[in-house]
Amino acid sequence: MLTINNLHARVEEKTILKGLNLEIKPGEVHAIMGPNGAGKSTMGFVLSGRDGYEVEQGGATLDGNDLLDMEPEDRARAGLFLAFQYPVEIPGVSNLEFMKAAVDASLESRGEEPMSSAAFLKKAKEACAQVNLPLAFLKRGVNEGFSGGEKKRNEIMQMILMEPKLAILDESDSGLDIDALKVVADGVNSQRSADRSFIVVTHYQRLLDYIKPDFVHVLSDGKIVKSGDASLAKELEAEGYAWLEGYDIEENSEASA
Amino acid sequence: MSMWLEKALNRANQVQDWLSPVRMQALETLKQEKWPTRKTEAWKYTPVKPLERAEFNHTAQANVVDVESIQGLDSIDLVFVDGCLTTPIHSLALPEGLTIDSFESASTDVQTWVSEVFGQIKPKRHLFGLVNDVLATQGVIIDVNAGQKIDKPIRLIHLQNEGNEAHTRVLVRLGSEAQASVIEQFTGDQNSFSTNVAEFSIGESASLEHYRFCLQTNEAMSVGGSHFKLHEKSQLNSQLVGYGSKLARVDVDVEYAGENAFSKLNAIYLLKDKEIFDLHSTIEHAVPHCVTDETVRGIVGDHAKATFNGRIHIHRDAQKTLAELSNKNLLLARTAQINTKPELEIYADDVRCAHGATVAELDKSALYYMMSRGISKADALIMLNFGFINALVDEMPNEAVAEWLRPILRQRFKAMGSE
Ligand SMILES: Nc1ncnc2c1ncn2[C@@H]1O[C@H](COP(=O)(O)OP(=O)(O)OP(=O)(O)O)[C@@H](O)[C@H]1O
Ligand SMILES: [Mg+2]
Repeated sequence: MLTINNLHARVEEKTILKGLNLEIKPGEVHAIMGPNGAGKSTMGFVLSGRDGYEVEQGGATLDGNDLLDMEPEDRARAGLFLAFQYPVEIPGVSNLEFMKAAVDASLESRGEEPMSSAAFLKKAKEACAQVNLPLAFLKRGVNEGFSGGEKKRNEIMQMILMEPKLAILDESDSGLDIDALKVVADGVNSQRSADRSFIVVTHYQRLLDYIKPDFVHVLSDGKIVKSGDASLAKELEAEGYAWLEGYDIEENSEASA
Repeated sequence: MSMWLEKALNRANQVQDWLSPVRMQALETLKQEKWPTRKTEAWKYTPVKPLERAEFNHTAQANVVDVESIQGLDSIDLVFVDGCLTTPIHSLALPEGLTIDSFESASTDVQTWVSEVFGQIKPKRHLFGLVNDVLATQGVIIDVNAGQKIDKPIRLIHLQNEGNEAHTRVLVRLGSEAQASVIEQFTGDQNSFSTNVAEFSIGESASLEHYRFCLQTNEAMSVGGSHFKLHEKSQLNSQLVGYGSKLARVDVDVEYAGENAFSKLNAIYLLKDKEIFDLHSTIEHAVPHCVTDETVRGIVGDHAKATFNGRIHIHRDAQKTLAELSNKNLLLARTAQINTKPELEIYADDVRCAHGATVAELDKSALYYMMSRGISKADALIMLNFGFINALVDEMPNEAVAEWLRPILRQRFKAMGSE
């Protein structure tokens, strides 16, 4: 599904990704952990095509198609979804209108008819209920004045509606209360299927109790320094990152300073 | 003095009709006026250069044009083509309590009261207002009897064609406790010039809903204004939308002549290319206990230039005034320009006032966020632009009018783009 091959990327003058490799097969869930400033969010931005992120070397393909060659909107239409660590507020644009435009754009790119307003509203209401947000949130401006946790749930709602092939969840669990964490995890689990894959970026083992990963990777200083199964997350929780081979404390304290 | 104004003054000398006595006074004032330059405060940012040497046809023979109605709006439509009223005034089916006259059809009774009001609501400082005083030989007079609620909006449509100059006038009088809705709508994009002045007298406890859609663009130059006088306990809800052109200037004036009157003024301007748009509003709080709520939002792209000058003048006696003025602008390109100047002048001590102006650039992270959801850049821009002014469109009291406007604005946004 997703192949990241020796990816080097920089933002401004600073190289952040320094040889990232990752192979994700359909239906798999990969957790990515790693210290602050390691480049986890950068990976999501580079894959989704954010302005200002420049690929220096290597590549990434989604279902064999060169992802890095596409416009951001085409990557989304090809099935890539990024749940943002810090979702953006868009005052004046209603959540409902925003999501309908998003879903319609993908439908149209596949040559399908846009959904009727009524049909979409029904789906949106279901997704809204699923992430436990009051229906009023559909009418509100996108993320406008939402609390941190509400923003995260709104991202999951968008994911449910967009039905992506590959979803990257960037710290969708941070800032959530216990109940909201379950809601988000349930939302993700409800979308798991044999042909949909997930990258779950998190700092906490706790989320992985709810969303069982097939693989856990440690991303440090721009590359994967260790991979394992779910038990790796438990070790990290207990021991931190310092014990890892190839983890350079100096380099990293600088990066996160 | 510009060549254009000189010729205009010559033409004014030849105008002969029942308004001539009032026109003569205006002409005397006009002769004292100086042609605006960069140093003229009221025209600081808006050069009148394009008009200086312009020559137009003044004797356009207008053809009747079919004007699209607004879906869901049962309105009384009057159409001006190049300044000529093409709607036969006697063919209008009017509800009880409403009279509409053209300057030609006005009876001597109507002439008498109009002569007293003409040019009295519009402040005399507007140069092109005076031009309109002396040259506007075509116009409509709308009179709503006391206590009458007119359900059908009255829509005045002005179409401007290439090479023509037009001067039109509107006078609206609402008797006490009357209610009416007036839509002024202007279109045209070819080289032309028009002045359009509307004066509104809103009687005691009367209520006026007003729209001014200044949709002239490109080469179509226009200068005009809507000027309101509010009597005791009266209400005004005015909604303005403006595009820019080679020269586009609108003056809105509100004068409170009686206590406990209220006006809500919303305005939107949307500019592209090298367009210019200049909105000046002046609110005179001359008496106590009146309320002004003015919200102006603009989106300016390309090399366009917007000017907003909003002045609220609270006179010494105007205690207990509530006045709020907000102007927010969105710049789509670094090459676009915005000159905004909200001014509060307060001479009373017991008032509550607030004013503010902001200029923001397009939120690039919002644009990326939308694109990351599969929305094209062009569509994302349209949605962001709409988001910026949506609140004002939603506030339009007539839903059919708002519904009609939305796709028009969408088209406008499509043409606006960004860097
Ligand atoms: N515009 C920029 N200019 C310079 N450095 C940047 C810029 N944007 C991000 N960085 C740096 O890139 C590094 C990686 O950031 P990134 O957000 O990818 O980290 P992360 O692994 O997601 O961290 P966290 O766990 O704190 O979310 C950080 O050191 C950050 O300061
Ligand atoms: Mg991050």
